[in-house]
Amino acid sequence: MTALLHLWGGYVRLTARWPVIATLVPFMPVLALWWFVTAIEVFPRVFLPGPADVARSFAALMYKGILPDYLQDSVVRLAVGAFWGTVLGIPLGLLIGLSQRAHTALWPLLLFFQAIGDIAWLAILVIWFGYGLVTMTFVIVYTVIFPVVLNTVLGVRSIPVNMHRAALSLGASRLRIVWEVVLPGALPNIITGLRNGLGYGWRALIAAEIIVGTSGIGFMMFDARRAGSVVEILLGMIILGILWYIVDNWILAPIERATGQRWGLVTR
Amino acid sequence: MLRLRSLSAAATFGAPFVVLLTLWAVLVPYFEVNPRLFPPLLAVVQAGLESIGDGTLLQHIGASLLRVLVGTAIALVLAIPLGIAMGVSPLVSTFLTPLFRFFSVLAGIAWIPIATLWFGYGFGAITFVIFNAVFFIVTYNTLLGVSTIPRPVRNAAASLGAGPWAMLTEVLLPGALPNIVTGIRTGLGFAWRGLIAAEMIATNVGLGYMLFVARDFYKTEVIVLGMIVIGVLWLLLDRLILAPLERRTIERWGMVQRA
Repeated sequence: MTALLHLWGGYVRLTARWPVIATLVPFMPVLALWWFVTAIEVFPRVFLPGPADVARSFAALMYKGILPDYLQDSVVRLAVGAFWGTVLGIPLGLLIGLSQRAHTALWPLLLFFQAIGDIAWLAILVIWFGYGLVTMTFVIVYTVIFPVVLNTVLGVRSIPVNMHRAALSLGASRLRIVWEVVLPGALPNIITGLRNGLGYGWRALIAAEIIVGTSGIGFMMFDARRAGSVVEILLGMIILGILWYIVDNWILAPIERATGQRWGLVTR
Repeated sequence: MLRLRSLSAAATFGAPFVVLLTLWAVLVPYFEVNPRLFPPLLAVVQAGLESIGDGTLLQHIGASLLRVLVGTAIALVLAIPLGIAMGVSPLVSTFLTPLFRFFSVLAGIAWIPIATLWFGYGFGAITFVIFNAVFFIVTYNTLLGVSTIPRPVRNAAASLGAGPWAMLTEVLLPGALPNIVTGIRTGLGFAWRGLIAAEMIATNVGLGYMLFVARDFYKTEVIVLGMIVIGVLWLLLDRLILAPLERRTIERWGMVQRA
């Protein structure tokens, strides 16, 4: 028992120094179980290949250059979509948040169009733009924009009226108020919206690539499904998971925390 | 007075839709938009009446809702006990958190290719996708909810002589409930998207299938009808069931979270 406790203490000290270890170690038992289940062939190998097979196919696809290409395609699509979603979403959110009239006119429409959901647009988008980049970008922009707009509105509306008044009485113009009061005040919410939006956008991208794709990780998985190659499907899933984990954990979450610390005081 | 006010609120909420529909009804015929690109309002209404008349719309809606219901029910039955069991011990929960975060990232759509391979095209694969979308997110949120219950609350209950069962039903479950409900709402949001995507690929009945078959024949009026039905259904589900449920749970039990 004490030996176990010592072991655990060592583990805790280790993870305190390198937090990455705390993220990685829990996957070891899962990998081991996966390996064990496939080694004794509970399910036929065709249905559930082992970790070694997946690693081998990873190496092969990397070597052929297919995987880096597809990965790049997916990430670029997500980045382009996220860029336009933010560029369009933040001004729209500011408008709706600041003007009561715009709020009355647009808020119900926003709720409804958000409810339709990105994937339901795929069918008609394919008719409009064909199978290609425009369709996918549209889907991602559509997905990213709603959380950004809704959260921006929330952020703008949560700025105390006294802040506006203080800036006004100090002689700030309307533009300066937007730039120096409203935007920084809403920033923590905007970033949260962007993070949520990208989470949805990521899934929408996979769906779009599966359904209308010609390249990308989602396409790779579906192509593998057509050929009946479970190895590549599993590989695709693992890559998707790792990639999003990295983007979310090491890029988006720190940005969110940092903006929250820097500007979060304004919101209640 | 109150009725009048809620009536006018409904009117201001509905007005933008009336404007949008009017624009649609006027502009599309005026510019003579090719109905293969975008249908006139009348055609959509007609398609709606037709599909209600011959029962196909109800059949698609029924099939989709049944899948969501079955998948969600199975997921909840498994996820909540598992989440509580794992959340009780801080060691286990910190150890397993990265694992569940990883899988909740994968949840839903990414499982479609392998689900269709394991279960074949049809009810099994789609229900599995929904199960997945809900299961991991709810488990993760339950685990999070249980582990945020302040230690003193549990100690107090224990020192007052609460047995394991009383602890579960009177401390752990109520304490984690706000998180659980939030998890259900997020999970269902992903599940709904996953459902539409899966139905486009893997079945022969359901709303996603209706959209995709219509696309093959360039029947844009059916596509638009399907999109509206999907939007309205989700709005009803989210605003009439999930959002009030979440609000009420947080009002009733939320204080436990940060005592």
